Amino acid sequence: MEHNTYLPKLAEIIQIKEEVTGARPIKTFRTRILNSHDFSFRCGQCAMLSVFGKGESMISISSSPLVKDYLQFSILKMGRVTSSLHEMSEGDIIGIRGPYGNGFPIEDWKGKNIIFIGGGIGLAPIWSVLHTALGKKQEYGDLTLIYGARTSQDIVFKDELQELKKEMTVHLSIDVEEPEWEEFVGFVPQNVTDKKPSPENAITITCGPPIMIKFVIKALKDLGFEDRQIYTTVENKMKCGIGKCGRCNIGLHYVCKDGPVYSWAELKNLPQEY
Amino acid sequence: MEKILNKKNLPRWIKGLKAFQVYAPSRDGDIWNYALIENPEDITLDYTSTVLSPKTIVFPQREILLKFGTSNDGELEITETLPQQDPSVIFGVRPCDAKAVFLMDKVFGGDFVDPYYWNRRDQIILVGLTCNTPPSPNCFCLSVDGSPHSKDGLDILMTDLGDRYFMESLTEKGDELFNLGKKLFEKPTAKDIKELAKIQADSEKNLKRQIKNIKKIPSLLKDMFESSYWDEASMSCLRCGICTYLCPTCHCFDMNDEVAVTSPIKGQRVRTWDTCQFPDFTMHSSGHNPRPDKASRLRQRVFHKFYYFPERYKNFQCIGCGRCISKCPVGIDIIQVLDGVSDHGA
Repeated sequence: MEHNTYLPKLAEIIQIKEEVTGARPIKTFRTRILNSHDFSFRCGQCAMLSVFGKGESMISISSSPLVKDYLQFSILKMGRVTSSLHEMSEGDIIGIRGPYGNGFPIEDWKGKNIIFIGGGIGLAPIWSVLHTALGKKQEYGDLTLIYGARTSQDIVFKDELQELKKEMTVHLSIDVEEPEWEEFVGFVPQNVTDKKPSPENAITITCGPPIMIKFVIKALKDLGFEDRQIYTTVENKMKCGIGKCGRCNIGLHYVCKDGPVYSWAELKNLPQEY
Repeated sequence: MEKILNKKNLPRWIKGLKAFQVYAPSRDGDIWNYALIENPEDITLDYTSTVLSPKTIVFPQREILLKFGTSNDGELEITETLPQQDPSVIFGVRPCDAKAVFLMDKVFGGDFVDPYYWNRRDQIILVGLTCNTPPSPNCFCLSVDGSPHSKDGLDILMTDLGDRYFMESLTEKGDELFNLGKKLFEKPTAKDIKELAKIQADSEKNLKRQIKNIKKIPSLLKDMFESSYWDEASMSCLRCGICTYLCPTCHCFDMNDEVAVTSPIKGQRVRTWDTCQFPDFTMHSSGHNPRPDKASRLRQRVFHKFYYFPERYKNFQCIGCGRCISKCPVGIDIIQVLDGVSDHGA
């Protein structure tokens, strides 16, 4: 009999970090798969997390495949499963199955400059591909991150972002002015326009709220980026993760299998069903 | 392999299938549905159509995917609960309903093989019965590449020739069933073969309904995603979902955890049929819904069956059984909906 893909592997939560508190809290969970099960994945892929008794939720993997010690997920508290995850403690056991989805075609980007553009929790899927490129820095051109959140409190990976500035260009922004804030004030698309990344030999990856993605793409087009240079990720409600339960499709595409990563050249031709 | 079985020998043949569970259409009050048969004498094949198709056997409405619990030393444990299906024969399957199983095989196969489905499916033999007359006034199998004597998904096709059945074995599983009743079967005569051809040809003439321009439908739909036609077509929909629950080809499902004991945790993960006609089918936990209204959900049902599925698997995901038409409480008629698509694209 074939491998039963519906059966999650058990994993221990080995570290929980509070990224953002308040009404829209975000926590980062580091997990370790138990019983020496393997979990190889490509950056941009997702995993179906189980809280037994609550159900499952599809979450993007925010650690790099280069990291072998843990699998990391940064999760906004939202529905039943993510709310339960937020109540869990280090040492608790969850289920993980996958990985699912296509992932970023990072092998095709060797030698190119990569501009990562994120908003809010959208930095989670970027984090995996960013650290993969950073881990093989000599294989890629310039790496730039443009990231923003509503307020300075809403910024995820705060400490890591400061560390990251030593290794690559990082442009941060918040939506409205705050005392002590020395970087850009305004929305992420405005920061993109302000920093004017060059489209020459470049790829951009943009993840965040749909409205942000829409205007980032517009800003990038204005700067001369072509559709095929712009990548993003899409999310839809999922149950099976393997293109059978029938709900996550955008037109002909099952996001769980054919996505979640799309170039704008592909996505702009799909119906608005996400 | 082709055989003739005298009608009075049918129960004797079935009695000989000792290694198998036997399902057949059974009267349940005013309706027919598939049920396990204890006594082969009880099988009557003069039914019209079952309300539910054999989908309920190959892909049950509810099944347990796994159990979770806590071991004596406090460790979380999960247990796989793959179904153990006894070898089974389903008798009297309408050819369209068997084709639905053939279509579902494609969905649950492919690059991710679904072990729950195949654990049952591999044990099931489908014995079909030609529809000499249409079981429903809403039958339209000819429009969707089917016929009253289609063979897709079947292991044996039986055709009623009055006092006897013409029996065609279509697979090794079918041959196996023939071998279990060897002495009961006769060789078809030239007259039998002639009669079979006539009955099968006549069976096609009796179909009253068809979809216009079916060949063009997929390409017409492709350009109709944004059309306001879907508002109009879905106006009367009550979003009850019966069209999809009764559909022999609809396979969409939900997965949820059921908890028996909260501490220490004990429960099970179940898979149940779901429907694209319910608002929460696609609703994100944020409340955002990519298919927020009846129009987008009817469009999804039609697109899935007549555009996406043909693109993916080269077949319509519709067998023309007419159940969704007959049972819709507000008379939404898939044939009319598709004819409207043709008119729209004309």
